[in-house]
Amino acid sequence: MLKKTEKVKRDLQEEIRAVTTLKDAEQLKIKYLGRKGIIQDFMKLIPALPAEQRAEFGQQINALKAEAANFIEEAIGKLSREAIPKVNNEIFDITLPGKLPLTGKKHPLTQTIDDVKEVFARLGFDVVYGPEVELEYYNFEALNIPADHPSRTDFDTFYIKNDILLRSQTSTVQIRVMEKQKPPIRIIAPGKVYRPDTVDARHSFMFHQVEGLLVDEGVSFADLKEVLNQFIKTYFGKDVRMRFRPSFFPFTEPSAEVDISCSLCSGKGCSVCSYSGWVEILGAGMVDPHVFKAVHYDTEKYTGFAFGMGVERITMLKHGISDIRLFYENDIRFLSQF
Amino acid sequence: MKISYNWLKEYAYFYLSPEELADKLTNAGLVVADIKPVEDDYCLEVEVTSNRPDCLGIIGITREVIAAVGGELRIPDTDFETLSTKVTKFIDVTVEDPVLCPHYTARVVRHVTVRPSPEWMQKKLRCIGIRPVNNIVDITNYVMMETGQPIHAFDLDKISDQKIVVRRALDGEMIVAINGVKRALFHDMLVIADSKRPVAIAGVMGGKETEVSDSTRNILLECALFEPGHVRRTSKELGVFTDSSYRFERGTDPGGIERASKRAVKLMKELADGEIVSGVIDIKQREYEKKRIPLRIERLQKILGIEIKRDIASDILKRLQFTIVNEIDNFIDVVVPSFRGDIYREIDLIEEIARIYGYNNIPAKTSICVRGSIKSKYEVVEDCIRQFFIGLGFYEVKTFSIVDISPLQSVKLWSEQDALDIANPLRQEESRMRTSLLPSLINAKRYNVNHGNESIKIFEIARVYLAGDKLPHEKTCLSLLIDADFFTLKGIIESLVLHLGISLKREWISFSEPKLFRDERAAKIQLDDKTLGYLGEASRELGFKTSFCLSELDMDFLAEKSNFEKRYHPLSLYPPVFRDLAIIVDEEVLWTSIEKCITATHISFLKGIHFFDVYRGKQIPAGKKSVAFNLCFQAEDRTLKSEEVETAEWTILDVLHTTLDAELRKL
Ligand SMILES: [Zn+2]
Repeated sequence: MLKKTEKVKRDLQEEIRAVTTLKDAEQLKIKYLGRKGIIQDFMKLIPALPAEQRAEFGQQINALKAEAANFIEEAIGKLSREAIPKVNNEIFDITLPGKLPLTGKKHPLTQTIDDVKEVFARLGFDVVYGPEVELEYYNFEALNIPADHPSRTDFDTFYIKNDILLRSQTSTVQIRVMEKQKPPIRIIAPGKVYRPDTVDARHSFMFHQVEGLLVDEGVSFADLKEVLNQFIKTYFGKDVRMRFRPSFFPFTEPSAEVDISCSLCSGKGCSVCSYSGWVEILGAGMVDPHVFKAVHYDTEKYTGFAFGMGVERITMLKHGISDIRLFYENDIRFLSQF
Repeated sequence: MKISYNWLKEYAYFYLSPEELADKLTNAGLVVADIKPVEDDYCLEVEVTSNRPDCLGIIGITREVIAAVGGELRIPDTDFETLSTKVTKFIDVTVEDPVLCPHYTARVVRHVTVRPSPEWMQKKLRCIGIRPVNNIVDITNYVMMETGQPIHAFDLDKISDQKIVVRRALDGEMIVAINGVKRALFHDMLVIADSKRPVAIAGVMGGKETEVSDSTRNILLECALFEPGHVRRTSKELGVFTDSSYRFERGTDPGGIERASKRAVKLMKELADGEIVSGVIDIKQREYEKKRIPLRIERLQKILGIEIKRDIASDILKRLQFTIVNEIDNFIDVVVPSFRGDIYREIDLIEEIARIYGYNNIPAKTSICVRGSIKSKYEVVEDCIRQFFIGLGFYEVKTFSIVDISPLQSVKLWSEQDALDIANPLRQEESRMRTSLLPSLINAKRYNVNHGNESIKIFEIARVYLAGDKLPHEKTCLSLLIDADFFTLKGIIESLVLHLGISLKREWISFSEPKLFRDERAAKIQLDDKTLGYLGEASRELGFKTSFCLSELDMDFLAEKSNFEKRYHPLSLYPPVFRDLAIIVDEEVLWTSIEKCITATHISFLKGIHFFDVYRGKQIPAGKKSVAFNLCFQAEDRTLKSEEVETAEWTILDVLHTTLDAELRKL
């Protein structure tokens, strides 16, 4: 029996070598593997065998069948690959465009927030969040902005009712964190803020800020400068120059506005920088002792700095976007560019 | 505030071009936003922060220039000859509310000739955008711009009974403003009145009836101090904002009243041929006390992170016109000039020194210690979810949290309570805090369709605002919109849940919210018997041509249940056996019942049940459907025998038959 199956195998191999067309190969398949083919004929012999040989012979036939199928399929595959260009005269055009998988994008503002988080994470700042609908106390009083103070107009606010408002700045989170935690503190707080501004190319009633706060023993203005320096070089590039200008915020003293050299005109002056060569990117300063008093910190022992930046503003600067409304229209043609 | 370059140069010698001057001022904290040539002069637009009312006069700005570049401040002298008649002969002043008016002064100038002011004065006023009127009015403006102290000139002859009373307005009182408009006054407003009527709203504006005209002969000159908060409220209530109210509400110099008043009457004598009456009406609540602050050099160095020597610090303070009473060792004893109401603490002095020393001369260096930062679980989950959806081709969108009051926007997915409304909205379109992100995603879809993007996949992670006890509950949601069918989005959500390592029991319960979802094609998703979110085909009423699906999930809940701890499970050494089955059941039989039925057999080596098709057609009786699925059998400890699998299959079919009346579909 074994000899018979071996012979079938040898015959098949020889015949396969001789085959040159796909049609012949198909014929060979029917001859060996078809319902009335050679291998099927072997099967019919099984019932006639003595019981103890049946299983072994069955296995041999199955192995032969599998092997034969492999040989023939391989031959068919090879012939059909060779056959195509010959038959149709087609050319495989490798310059046709590839099939692009569809991928999405993070919103450009998220990308900026993520970049900011990453730079500050390396400097040991944790990310924290606070409520957007906030008590007046956290938005104003605790930040040394008393009622009826002229600076309140700089933080014009939406109210829900008497003492509940939509926060106009993320500095509120500073107070909430310091109330719960003793120094050392290193946090950044990204989030939405709201101010009743009429919407135009530069204003939106809702926008995003990132607030930063560091409080410890022996923290100085020089530390503030270096930390912001590192952020600016990482985010805007190492050739960008930085300038600190004195300014006023009720919750910092000394207070500063931080400018960077205009990347569009490299400081020579253009319409983006109002011909000054500088663009304002964030506000910063040493935490005012009044703020520390509001959270019962020892103002002699601890010092700290805080900074805040507009996410839309720095995203617009970085990518040369001239209209803030684009961020909230969510036109895919816009979103797909970043 | 607008200043004139030439005018500024009258108070100090300096050799700076307008551009150099602008640069010095900007670096000292007074941003020069614009420089415009005007005639033979330059007009500089200076942005003065709200804490520096002393810089709302040109002399104040000159002080800053001197502090930056050095030099001597030259203040015009205010000596003049007077008539012998006393001022009390012409006017009687009573201050009824000394809290709102802590200091009131009045002088009288007689026999003035009202005519145009000289060209040099007109030119300077024009340069800073003030229209010249006549010599008297121009002098009041000129002195205000010079000193930052608003002053007001009345036509003395129109003051009834030669009486001035500083008092609260009476209910129903009116005043005709300088622009001719009649205004009603409220009872808590402070007015300057004569014996009959209010003649000015204190600190805000004068009245028409007593204003200086061409026929005016005698002048009553008011120079006073008003309580800033009150001026601010009055100005706001009336909607009247003037150069005067702008300065008073920020706080004027309590020590500058006498000089401003004298300067004005002297100019009236010189430019309007007036005769100054002797003396002054001067009603003062109390003497102004100058603040004295000790400054520790050590503290200065600690805050700034740089060594600044005592003599440098004291020199800067002197240039800023502070008085140094004493300086020894590491201390400077400083007296603050009256015009610097913003300085009352040591830290304020430190800022002054830093400002003039130059922020840019403080080196950037840090000695803060190294500290690691660990991402919170929420942060990790949020990043993971963003990456997941971006990978699937979704774009992230950002939409406004403040929405309109349409019924769609007030959908109550997460709370039965009413949405929060904004008390002072700018527009109807933005007056309510949203309770779901989905309406905004639908708007984003509409925007894109209108701009040629028919098919989109978008998501947003943002908060919704649900009424709470004091502050609302701000729930973070993940919302999805996709141009695909229900089961595609359901599959994405299932996949997300697995991706986040959540293996809790999930249930899909039919749900109805006709404003958002198409009826019978929406589900509430339960995770561990709590609501994870909603999924459904968008309602036809939304008016889109093609159908799409929406989902909103509770992000906080997802973050809470996520599990990124991975444990290795040994891989089975034995091959799995797959069996496809198709059964015919009643139309009402849900897949979940079939699944439950099969799991209830508790066959230990049944590893998976995978639905793949529902078929209704010729071979299937009416009211029935064929449900096809694949079963995966695999044992951990042995190769399964075909009889074992066969028995299991029959057990399953048996249970399906007895419980759901299912028949095996023969192919
Ligand atoms: Zn530029």
